Amino acid sequence: MSQGTKGSGSSTGASDHGYRGSALQVMRRFGITVWCELRAETTRGSFQGLLLPRSETSDDLHLVLKLDSGYNIGIRHDTVLSLEKTGYREARYQIPEREFPRNPANPNVKLLGTGGTIASRLDYRTGAVIPAFSPGELYGSVPELADICNIETEKLFGVFSENMGHEQYQVLAEKIGQAIGNGYDGVMIGHGTDTMHHTAAALSFMVQRPPIPVVMVGSQRSSDRPSSDAARNLINAAWAAGHGPIAEVLVCMFGPTSEFYNLLHRGTRVRKMHSSVRSTFRTLGDIPVAMVEHGKVTILHEHWMPRRSDRDVLIQPHWDERVTLMYYYPGMRPDTIDSMVDCGYRGIVLAGTGLGHVNRLVYPALERASAAGVHLYMTLQTLWGFVQMHVYETGREILELGVVPLANMIPEVAFIKLSWALGLHGDDADAVRSLMTTPLAGEMTDREPHDGYLVLQGGVPEVEAFVKRVWR
Amino acid sequence: METDSYASGGWVLLLRVLSEQVYMSEHAAPVPDRGIRPPGDLNPRQDPPLDFIDRPLHQMEPSDYQVLGYISGLEVHQQLLTDSKLFCRCPAGRKATEVDAAVLRRMRPTLSELGEYDGTALMEFKTRKEVVYLLERSTVCTYEMDDAPPFHIDEAAVRVAIELALLCNMSLVSELHVMRKQYLDGSIPTGFQRTAMVGLTGSIPFRVPELGVDRELRIRQLSLEEDSCREVSDVGHRITFRTDRLGTPLTEVVTEPELLTPLELQAGGRLVARVARATRKVRRGPGAARQDVNVSVAGGRRIEIKGIHHHRGLPLLAHNEAFRQLNLLRLRAELQRRELDPSALALPDPGLPWELSDLIMDATDLLANTGHRPLRRAVERGETACAVRLPGFGGLLDHPVQPGATFVRELAERVRVIACPPHRPFLTYSDTGHADLSKRHWRQLARSLGAAAGDAVVVVWAAMDDAATAAREILTRAAEAFVGVPAETRQALRDGTTGFERILPGPDRMYPDTDTPPVPISDSVVAEVAGGRGETPWAREERYLRLGLGEVAARRLASSPWADLFDELAPAAGSPARQLSTALELRLPFHSRKHGLSRADVLPSAARLEPLVRALEQGALLPYALHPALDEALGDPDRPVGRILASYRPLSADDASPAATIQAVVSRSHLLDGKPPEVVLRWAMGEVLRPWRGRLDPHQVERALADALGARVTTAEAMT
Repeated sequence: MSQGTKGSGSSTGASDHGYRGSALQVMRRFGITVWCELRAETTRGSFQGLLLPRSETSDDLHLVLKLDSGYNIGIRHDTVLSLEKTGYREARYQIPEREFPRNPANPNVKLLGTGGTIASRLDYRTGAVIPAFSPGELYGSVPELADICNIETEKLFGVFSENMGHEQYQVLAEKIGQAIGNGYDGVMIGHGTDTMHHTAAALSFMVQRPPIPVVMVGSQRSSDRPSSDAARNLINAAWAAGHGPIAEVLVCMFGPTSEFYNLLHRGTRVRKMHSSVRSTFRTLGDIPVAMVEHGKVTILHEHWMPRRSDRDVLIQPHWDERVTLMYYYPGMRPDTIDSMVDCGYRGIVLAGTGLGHVNRLVYPALERASAAGVHLYMTLQTLWGFVQMHVYETGREILELGVVPLANMIPEVAFIKLSWALGLHGDDADAVRSLMTTPLAGEMTDREPHDGYLVLQGGVPEVEAFVKRVWR
Repeated sequence: METDSYASGGWVLLLRVLSEQVYMSEHAAPVPDRGIRPPGDLNPRQDPPLDFIDRPLHQMEPSDYQVLGYISGLEVHQQLLTDSKLFCRCPAGRKATEVDAAVLRRMRPTLSELGEYDGTALMEFKTRKEVVYLLERSTVCTYEMDDAPPFHIDEAAVRVAIELALLCNMSLVSELHVMRKQYLDGSIPTGFQRTAMVGLTGSIPFRVPELGVDRELRIRQLSLEEDSCREVSDVGHRITFRTDRLGTPLTEVVTEPELLTPLELQAGGRLVARVARATRKVRRGPGAARQDVNVSVAGGRRIEIKGIHHHRGLPLLAHNEAFRQLNLLRLRAELQRRELDPSALALPDPGLPWELSDLIMDATDLLANTGHRPLRRAVERGETACAVRLPGFGGLLDHPVQPGATFVRELAERVRVIACPPHRPFLTYSDTGHADLSKRHWRQLARSLGAAAGDAVVVVWAAMDDAATAAREILTRAAEAFVGVPAETRQALRDGTTGFERILPGPDRMYPDTDTPPVPISDSVVAEVAGGRGETPWAREERYLRLGLGEVAARRLASSPWADLFDELAPAAGSPARQLSTALELRLPFHSRKHGLSRADVLPSAARLEPLVRALEQGALLPYALHPALDEALGDPDRPVGRILASYRPLSADDASPAATIQAVVSRSHLLDGKPPEVVLRWAMGEVLRPWRGRLDPHQVERALADALGARVTTAEAMT
């Protein structure tokens, strides 16, 4: 989810707390273990502190000491003359856990966990952030939630965002269906930000016409930092899920980088647009559905699905893995497409240039793919705008090869939708094509409003004047 | 850019959870063993000399401070002269004047690595501040705004830090571990400062003849960290910062608390600054070096005074803090004499305090028609006035604490910082605040609160949430009077007193930075830095003493920016060295002022000045001509030195032209007839030497003049 969460996964013995090689040898020579308080005489002077575990991804040359001042330092194994144990103090790390107070007047919200860090604690061994997730832990770190709704949590997986895939989408869809059946007023899904928009798209297709909000939430800046967006995202997502009027799959993340308001993005139109800034999630080619702040949901969009009291929903957790997304580049050779066909792929989503173009070089490959029954769809690298293949001759030629344009569907969304559609309809090519070209959850729109594309250009005087007046 | 007030009641809940963790224990007298504690927070002596007769700074002797049990130490922050900031490639040292954009954030405390919340962090969360950052594009990028992870640590800064650690004879770590030190006051947008320990346990020679000091000053630690934002304003619940300075690399050198008088503290600060400058890679100018001072007296505890920009004000600040502690200890003794108990001030769970305790009441209605204008305006604004009874504290709010400040200021400061009332004044009290409220109002308050004659009553007003916080803080601070000196960080005020800034943070606020890998400090890098390291001020001084400079001159030269220039010019030992050092010290600052340049920028090349020095050594330039010749060489950089030297070629008083000058002056000397001869001679000397600007030997001129004037007098007498 954030940079801090990456980097675990080595399988060295846990008993040595990340130490191995030369550093571990020095520890053994002097009978020292992790959590020993010690005095180290070294060629660089003497040091006193508490021996901490070491990140498994760091080298095997240094010992990590925590000094009384709170600082950590590294001592290289070959500088050590002697280590003398002076005490032993094992740290107990715990997020303050309280029973989550239930208020019958508040709505009931189900929080499904996928492994992202909404609330978190630090892990010594990896130096990484470990999620806090049980209701008690959540209440301990974001107690404001108790004012908003009664939360029940269910941890489904413990995977980082980049490891989310169709198996997880399918489980999530089923679980959302159960939560709806069980009478919850809203569902929240804690998710890493990297692939949040993929999952949002998948759930938009797998969970159709839910009667309650399904709100995805995460944190772009890790929740172990005081300035994290995690708590605010969680609070606003809880509002949207528990009290909000919009019964759709939504992504609830910071609007500006300032801690000011959150945006509710439609699951099929949202995309992560920056590797690290808080305002990374943007609605493309349209405007967000709503804003949410301080317990108030302000609708922005003219079309949205209202919350219903019934429990009707269509859950279709289907998937076909034999779909790929190909990003076209000038000079692309036909064998790249041929090899996909040879590998048995049944659907290819192309992200073409401009209005939806690829070079002539790959035409024969597209023709062969089409003849082999592979579904071919065209989307845009430009991300904004519509595929329009009738304007230039190139486009018309490509259409004739059997490539189907997908209007203003975002390439990743098209990939998700095709995987789902092929999973749903198997060999019925017409049904797949019909499904693909029919908007189900806003993934294609009839029109692009003038403010659906607002990437302001920095440096331009009038833009700078505007930026001075609004919170970044 | 208006935002709602942060109205959710959730923060109260968070505080409850958190405060059960730490906050109460921070404030209660016995601090339970919660693992690692900062060493030496309490003064080693616990016998306050309560009967000490207070004296101003200039009347205090070192032995007086010994009686007080005074100890102090320094944390010197020095910005390093690097091209870029520590963890991003924004330019360092550039000051922003424009505002291109603004960002608003809020801070929440997080758990430390050892599973604890830090008391300071909790206090700062209580203040519920909105933090606004003003951005100027050329000085800030997404990293500083915590919108991007850190880039690689600036190598140049690491090397300067290593060099400084070597100059302080410190034990170097083998690997830098970047840590996060929490600051929830908003001064750093991440909510923490990235900082890494570089060296431990060093010492530097501490010689100050005028204070009778000749020993080692032990250095506890040296860390490399990023600088914080500059504060622009702090009004109510909004604090505003500039981000230009943010991220500038700086070293923090922490001395042991072994500076035993305020003057020693000042000398120690100057010494550490000089050692830093010996690297020649540190920034100078306003704000480039700032120190925090730690002071305690017997019975007291370490109080940190933050962000002092200059050495001049250090002694008075430290002196006043020493007496503030002594006065708080006297207050404690009085509370004990009155047999009061802090548990009487305890307040149960968070909630509206006037509903929880009979010590506090909502007095808004009662005081709605008050004649006290600030309070009446507050009530008109819809604020809440609440009255707090402090049982047994009658008269103690006027107990003197600092020059011009009594104990009530300690209460008011807590309220100001933590409850953030936007209007001043925001409180009054029964001891001397009688004039503010009518007698009838005080009587009614006393009756409603059940206050007896020996009690004190404080009335505080602010928006309801803030008034609740304020009432709690008043009780909390009053309860801390039983401890004596509560652990605080204080800010230096212009008048030499200090104000409350925050609760003194502990090591709980440190945790490892998960965004940066450890940075090994290899032997080869250390050797490289050691090979090129600057000469320490004390080594330089020694060298200058051997060159024949006086003690004071040697010290001043050693710490001057032109010390390297002096070394390059390599004057001969004895007079030339002395004359050159004096000339540089007098003329270079003059030129820097004249051209508005920094002293470092005005420095000429050694090649430019070298002919002057050689001529001086060979007698081809008289010492008297050195200053004007230097002025010309500096003031007119295009003029060849040879020509300058030619124009200052020494002359003999017997040479034709000077002799003619002497003749002319002597012939005009009758105008001074009747004046004493030495006055006439002094006048004549000036008249002769001035036009020849150092080219004549004054002794020779004096002899010639004395002869000529004597002859004229004799002739005149003969004529009469």
